[in-house]
Amino acid sequence: MRGGFPGGVHPSEKKELTAESPIKPGPAVKQAAVLLSQHTGAICKPAVKEGESVQAGQVVGDSDAFISAPVHSPIDGKVALITLQSHPVIGRAPAVIIVPDAVNPAKRPQPKPQERFPLDLDIEKYTPQQITTAARKAGIVGLGGAGFPTAVKLEPNPEKPKDFLIINGCECEPYITCDYRVMLEWTNQVITGIRLARKATGHPKTIVAIEDNKPKAVEALGNALKRAPGCKDINVIELKTKYPQGGERQLIKSVLDRFVPTGGIPPMIGVVVLNVATAAAIADAVMFDSPLTHRVVTVTGEAIARPGNYYVAIGTPVKELIDFCGGVTQPSAKVVIGGPMMGIAIADLSTPVTKTTGAVTVLTKEQIGTVKFTRRQTPCIHCGRCLQVCPERLNPTRIAHAVKNNLMDIAQSYFINACIECGCCSYICPANIELTGLIRTGKIYLARQKKLMPS
Amino acid sequence: MLSKLTVSFSPHIGGPYSTRRIMGDVIIALVPAMLAGLYFFRGYALILIPTCVLSCVVTEWLCNLIRQREKPLESLGDLSAVITGIILALSLPPAIPYWAAIIGSVFAVAVGKMVFGGLGANVFNPAMVGRAFLTASFGILMTTWTAPATIDTGLPKVSANRPDAMTQATPLGWSKQAIKTRAAQPQDTAGPAVFVNAQLKNLFIGSTAGCLGETSKAAILLGAVYLLIRQVMNWRIPLAVLLSTFVFGSIGYLANHTAYISPLAHLVTGGILFGAFFIATDPVTAPLTNKGAWLFGAGIGALTILIRVVGEYPEGVMYSVLIMNGFTPLIDRLCKVIPVGGKPNV
Ligand code: SF4
Ligand code: SF4
Repeated sequence: MRGGFPGGVHPSEKKELTAESPIKPGPAVKQAAVLLSQHTGAICKPAVKEGESVQAGQVVGDSDAFISAPVHSPIDGKVALITLQSHPVIGRAPAVIIVPDAVNPAKRPQPKPQERFPLDLDIEKYTPQQITTAARKAGIVGLGGAGFPTAVKLEPNPEKPKDFLIINGCECEPYITCDYRVMLEWTNQVITGIRLARKATGHPKTIVAIEDNKPKAVEALGNALKRAPGCKDINVIELKTKYPQGGERQLIKSVLDRFVPTGGIPPMIGVVVLNVATAAAIADAVMFDSPLTHRVVTVTGEAIARPGNYYVAIGTPVKELIDFCGGVTQPSAKVVIGGPMMGIAIADLSTPVTKTTGAVTVLTKEQIGTVKFTRRQTPCIHCGRCLQVCPERLNPTRIAHAVKNNLMDIAQSYFINACIECGCCSYICPANIELTGLIRTGKIYLARQKKLMPS
Repeated sequence: MLSKLTVSFSPHIGGPYSTRRIMGDVIIALVPAMLAGLYFFRGYALILIPTCVLSCVVTEWLCNLIRQREKPLESLGDLSAVITGIILALSLPPAIPYWAAIIGSVFAVAVGKMVFGGLGANVFNPAMVGRAFLTASFGILMTTWTAPATIDTGLPKVSANRPDAMTQATPLGWSKQAIKTRAAQPQDTAGPAVFVNAQLKNLFIGSTAGCLGETSKAAILLGAVYLLIRQVMNWRIPLAVLLSTFVFGSIGYLANHTAYISPLAHLVTGGILFGAFFIATDPVTAPLTNKGAWLFGAGIGALTILIRVVGEYPEGVMYSVLIMNGFTPLIDRLCKVIPVGGKPNV
């Protein structure tokens, strides 16, 4: 068993809340807010006008930029408004608001039955170009969190051929189980996606990596791979359960024992990493031309009445999702889009689900802990724990201290931009200093500075 | 129940550590050494430890008042003043008068910590600052060693210049004597160093004269094991201190084993064990990086031996720690960590 990347922490997993709950249809949409920026890269321009009728799967926003992905309407209906809407990551962003027809209201979304994804599908009929184009047209982005457009990853690069394709089934964030359920229930669809992605990237060596706390998923994918044609050489490997094992850079270190250069991206060393749910979306897009309009979301947290995994229309407001799960049973302190380590706490519950929303986690004060919740701090005691746990081997306390005192050149001399914002340093800090928050603030500040003063 | 939502940076959960828990663990780890002190030196320990702890805590509170902190009591909650008090008490000669202990404590916290800005900002280990001040001001008091209340090692008793206590030479004082007189000593006679070497077991248990809490090595090791289990300290620091003490201590012994005590004796005499586990590991004044920790520890060991063997004082842990504390910022600068992906090529 491999599992070696430096640092890392072991937060309690809390996956038992939803690990056994199968994917169920989510709420019928009353109003969908499709954000025009759900990915890394250029923001889409609206492709529809207010008052226009749209059909499910119709493009409502697109961009000509290379690094971008179109967005689609999840339902039949009418564009009520194009307006600014709360965005989980960037604060506010333009969105297309779609309301269903009064006579023909939206139904609860149903995923395709797995029989439609036969394991022995003949993939010869699809060319690499077709696969990449389908992924682009469907608006597929990395569903694991970063939201990098998948088509860009699959695109062949004549200078650096792809040697490895790693399928990421780690799901190292506490609480979240959506990928786990996808691996268990949509096994065939995932395998088909892997086969297609492999074809598109020029048949590189392919490895499926899963943390060792999900033996059932390892077994399910392993068995299916044995039966799928041309997949005998694809190994499923178990990695040590350690946060952030699923981080792209950490995963590559664990699986291949290679480091992605600081400031670089995996393609630079010939590696493509795809999340399991992304693979499933590729299969759907290539075989049925289905755009990415729905995804599996884990709605969880001790306060939620009926936590579980739901197949949800992208654009559904978080509030509707929480209500659909029976609301909350205890006073709640935070609603987090994503998991507790990297997720983003929101105040506006009309924030919609996006392509990268893997979970909605409702945390109570007890789960957060009083010290963390009240943000009571002591001075840094130089204990060095933040250095020990940093998976990128940075010096978080020095960077954070520099940012606090507005010494950005010192922050840069400690490689502030190499931080992946995993949260390990803040998690471990006995002084309860918001290291990750300070570092993120510093990175944003630097990015703005660069924009204002191009060198 | 979904109103009043808090937004703040991720992560939204915290790990098991807190400053108070870490300091609390250090206090627990110091209990065996305190009990050993109580056992060997009885009433002295009973007075000395509470005196130092109390004066340290009160000093911190007064300093907070003077600095007009909003909540002058809040910083006491991190328990670091208590630790300073205990460590200072355990590193003093048992029979030191209470007023000297109070002066040392006030100096330790006020000058050693609070003038820098409180916990986390101090450069030198506060307890050692207090002790150094006492050594400089009250030399005689700081070198008057009480014989333990239990069995006797047979080290020569110094004529009692204090009527209330039986004083005795420390093993290190004794071996210093040996080094100084080594020219006069024929190679083959059993000199004082040979005598100390033969006393390893008593030294280990603690029935020798010495500082209040430093004498029983068994008790110190017990506390050290607790610290290791609770992952409170960076184990590299004590390991480096002990290794380097052993290595540098071997040099003299290999050259002349009747004049110099053995490296093992170096490890079980004086304050080196206590210093390695409880003083050098003070995170605030030790380097941040692992590489730095090795360097820092090795420096303490080397300097201690240097002072013990070559220098004027019989014991050198305090000064070596203080000297290396001074080097900590430099070590941190030298041992910068490089990101896993290498330096970015911009
Ligand atoms: S973990 Fe916290 S207290 Fe320890 S060195 Fe880092 S910032 Fe300082
Ligand atoms: S948030 Fe950044 S600095 Fe902190 S542990 Fe993660 S990578 Fe390191």
